[in-house]
Amino acid sequence: MTRWYLLRRLLQVVPTIFGIVIVAFLLVHAAPGDPVTALAGENGDAEYYAFMRHRFELDQSLTRQLGTFLARVATGDLGHSWLQGRSTLSVIAERIPATALLGGTALLIAGLVSLPLGVIAARRPHGARDVAISATALMLFSAPTFWIGQLAILIFALGFGLFPVQGMTTAGSDAVGLRHVLDVGRHLVLPAIVLAMNELAVLVRLSRTGLIDEFARDHIRTARAKGLTETRVIARHAFPRALTPALTVIGTRIGHLLAGAVVVEILFGWPGMGRLLLTALQGRDTPVLLGLFIIISSSVVLVNLATDLVHAAIDRRIRVG
Amino acid sequence: MKGRGVEISFGLAILLLTFIPGGCDSEGAHRRERILVAAISSNPGHLNPAITTNGGVHTAADLLFDGLLSFGDDLKPRPALAERWSVENGGTQYRFFLRRDVRWHDGQRFTAADVKFSFDSVLLRFHSRTRASLGPVLISIETPDDFTVVFSFRRPYAPLLSQLDVVEAPIIPKHLFAGADPLRNPANVAPVGTGPFRFVSYVPGTEIRYRANREYFQDAPKLDGVVLRVIPDASTQVAALEAGEVDWLFGVPGPERARLESNPKIRLTTTTISPGGSNCVTTVGFNLDRPWFSDLRTRRAIAHAMDRQQFVERVAFGNGRVADAPISSAIGFAHADDLAMPGYDTLEAARLLGAAGWSRVDAGARVARRVPGVRDGTRFVVTFVVMSSMTPYGDLLRAQLRQLGIDLRVVSLEPVVFAQTVFTARDFDMSIAPYCQGTDPQIGVQRIYLTSSIAPVPFSNMSGYRNPVMDSLFERAGSSLDVAERRRVYREIQELAVRDQPYIWIVETTSTQAHSTRCRGFGVAAHFAATATCDP
Repeated sequence: MTRWYLLRRLLQVVPTIFGIVIVAFLLVHAAPGDPVTALAGENGDAEYYAFMRHRFELDQSLTRQLGTFLARVATGDLGHSWLQGRSTLSVIAERIPATALLGGTALLIAGLVSLPLGVIAARRPHGARDVAISATALMLFSAPTFWIGQLAILIFALGFGLFPVQGMTTAGSDAVGLRHVLDVGRHLVLPAIVLAMNELAVLVRLSRTGLIDEFARDHIRTARAKGLTETRVIARHAFPRALTPALTVIGTRIGHLLAGAVVVEILFGWPGMGRLLLTALQGRDTPVLLGLFIIISSSVVLVNLATDLVHAAIDRRIRVG
Repeated sequence: MKGRGVEISFGLAILLLTFIPGGCDSEGAHRRERILVAAISSNPGHLNPAITTNGGVHTAADLLFDGLLSFGDDLKPRPALAERWSVENGGTQYRFFLRRDVRWHDGQRFTAADVKFSFDSVLLRFHSRTRASLGPVLISIETPDDFTVVFSFRRPYAPLLSQLDVVEAPIIPKHLFAGADPLRNPANVAPVGTGPFRFVSYVPGTEIRYRANREYFQDAPKLDGVVLRVIPDASTQVAALEAGEVDWLFGVPGPERARLESNPKIRLTTTTISPGGSNCVTTVGFNLDRPWFSDLRTRRAIAHAMDRQQFVERVAFGNGRVADAPISSAIGFAHADDLAMPGYDTLEAARLLGAAGWSRVDAGARVARRVPGVRDGTRFVVTFVVMSSMTPYGDLLRAQLRQLGIDLRVVSLEPVVFAQTVFTARDFDMSIAPYCQGTDPQIGVQRIYLTSSIAPVPFSNMSGYRNPVMDSLFERAGSSLDVAERRRVYREIQELAVRDQPYIWIVETTSTQAHSTRCRGFGVAAHFAATATCDP
């Protein structure tokens, strides 16, 4: 892998994100609904709306607004949130850790649970275990996240009292250090599992299919003929090759995961970016919306780049440059 | 196999987490104190109630601030920052005498300068309701000394005392806001008020913490502190209350009420006041610019076709009562309780529609026959635009009007788009809105009827109703200070509204609040926690 390749790919990211920013800007402005109305609520008068429109530079032409916006973005200034009056960057930044923790844990759960299940299912296709695993995966894939989430709250939080219903920390808690970590951990379990379900289902099905294909190949037959144990055959020969498509999918599903996070964050009162996105959308808080678009799309683009690179590292057949 | 090992240890980790008691010591400490945990639905973003009418901000921030006056349980104005007042020059001048013992949470002394600054520089610019109602009639606010404030008006102005509470006109500290942009002041997220609670911390999207203000100028709070917990989903709020994670909910969704009612650890209370507004009447409006609604008989027919009791039971889940007048029964001095409102009568409805030229053809549909402005043979199809949260009203209305041969097409929109479609573009035939009437008809009711409030402003004159008689009646009601006289004028207003039927008033909605039996003594609306207490 050459340094030039990396540099070229990174440079490609810039116009991609630039394009996304412009499209996002136009989309937000084309959407029906007046941000000033959302902001001012009822009972204003025409003069008030005009005053607010002027304050937020909405009385200027669209091209001029776009120009101002792009000029600011270029200097790293995302402006001020219309609803909160604070810098957009800090409004978004304070939400990133919660979403990263939730999404990262969900991805980890999905990966760690799905791959072994895929192996179990693939060893005897259409056997009892495979049917059970595949059917469950299909069910999890089809069930809407909000439904799974509500069920999880009713059964595990309210019914058995195993986990808290909502939030990332206990209300009013002053815990620090390890206690704080454990408190967050307890709150994290349910939302992370719920968010993981969908990804888990996809990965189980993918790794199962990949492994079944691998098992039919010559090199596996050779490995078995050499007298290797089945565990070794799977771990050394089948698994790494079957892992490649799963990795690709994990990369492309980051956007999907964030979409799921919106639902999970609202349901569990998790203070992440997904909830901020919904509030900004409902309140037509354009600076925050655009800021989120930029950050989310950049992360999707960068994760995809990372996936390509990891890919190349795992699978020698793929060459970059 | 490696994967399996990791899986097992992860499973063990989850199991371990399950058995760790929540919050540990810190929670124990809080349990010894009297802390109220209340659920709020939205992350307020900032805590300055003077720059917005947003219900989320006011729910969270009003505990920190005061108005010149406050409302008792009867919604009558009572002294707060002002200890007494006098009305002078036939109602064109109001003189307020302020308390001398009030201090801001940072120790600075509260004076008349704070009041003048709050109105002149913030409320009259950024608080849309105060700006729209006071702005056009107010001449000036003067402060003859440190503890007197005089409001002068162009003409006698009746509703002033109803709009000086913390929701309508919170007073903010001049020493922190003077000379800077109030929308971006750092004090908006670290607020300093005079209210019963003082600000401790705000973790956006998570919670806001307050401590009791022991130096509060009225009765000091019995609680040690309040935690406002942001929980956006209504069902999750209910689950959190059941699990004991929160103690207070501002609203309970209708379908979940029965479950909470049977829970001995939870008490429900009903109120006409909600963070979004008070004394709300769900009202159907006709777009009077459409030729098929210019005939009174058609509007009256639709009113007769509606079984409003069904709306109370099936849509509001019993949260409310059938509206029996245009003005809410909660505004006692203005409400007329014996008006001849069109009752549920499908025969009369059919007769009126027929008389208006809408005759029934095969399959029960109605088509126009000599309806002025409508081409003969046009089917009676109505576009009914609703906010997504009010879609159930549309579905029930659709079923009720189908009996009459009217085809109602329900278009459900998110709130911002609804406001634009109905009030700016006026692109609808019929619509529905939860008009919150507040405490004085001059604020919350006249905007629904005045010709001048046919404007691109949400929740203004939706129907586009124009009647000069109505306009002058409101003018008269607003400039009289005699309650008996005002009652007479509001009665005339309501009779005229029923006669012209630009709207159909369906349900006076109430909201159900819920709290754990660990806590008691909650007050109304803004300062709900000021009188409350919870067992440690």
